[in-house]
Amino acid sequence: MKLRLSPQTLLVIDAFLDQAEEWKYGYDLSRVTGLKSGTLYPILMRMAERKLLETQWETGDPGRPPRHMYRFTPEGLRFARARAGSPIAGGLGQVALGLERA
Amino acid sequence: MGTPRRLAARLLEALVHLAPAECRDWAMAMLRELDFIEGEWAAFFWAMGSAAVILRHAATAPWAWLKRQTKEGIGMNNTGKKVVGVSIGAFSALMLAGCAMATLRIAGILFPGLELEHSGWFDWLGVLAIPETIFIVATVLLWRKRGPVAAGILATVLVMALHIAVHFAIR
Repeated sequence: MKLRLSPQTLLVIDAFLDQAEEWKYGYDLSRVTGLKSGTLYPILMRMAERKLLETQWETGDPGRPPRHMYRFTPEGLRFARARAGSPIAGGLGQVALGLERA
Repeated sequence: MGTPRRLAARLLEALVHLAPAECRDWAMAMLRELDFIEGEWAAFFWAMGSAAVILRHAATAPWAWLKRQTKEGIGMNNTGKKVVGVSIGAFSALMLAGCAMATLRIAGILFPGLELEHSGWFDWLGVLAIPETIFIVATVLLWRKRGPVAAGILATVLVMALHIAVHFAIR
């Protein structure tokens, strides 16, 4: 599986690993990771292209515009969990971006 | 709705229509998120970042497609991959030759005092020496790893050399 694990990508993976079964929205991911749309979406697009993420349009209330949602595929979850155990994953992304939680 | 948010929405709506088919869903996704962003300027900067993503994707999509075809061979047999490789090599060589010639022509216009247009070495340098040297170096470097691309460059080198030889012979 080829995915460049930049600190930003690791942040996104971390965000998805938190309650991994739940669907997540782009703006919420942006707030959690601190990444701007110009950084976040290319990562999401690459992950989806590599079948690590599944995407879906929300079927919400009628009259309300649907939102795009994302979550790990089973393969993506395996990939993320395998990386989470490695020393470069998790905290490093936050340390590199100065976002380490206190 | 304030002006920054309205501008942001207009920009993303336009880009949804202009985006290539494979990233239209993503453009729509970024547009939909606008409704949930607190703050007018935050929405505006969200749209600017999103626009950059879509435009970058649109600009690189053809190149990415070619790269995928040559690297992974999706939907293409060996002959197809070689043809694509040779085409990339030939196209790159022609582009580079064109750029080299254009650069020297522009230099001639920008610095008329040098009288580049009338000097014999000008054509020799622009048409022959610089591009051909680059092509030969590129062919040698690429020969093992990207054989078809190197072959495409080499073919262009030979055609250009033949063209120049005929040109000088007639003159």
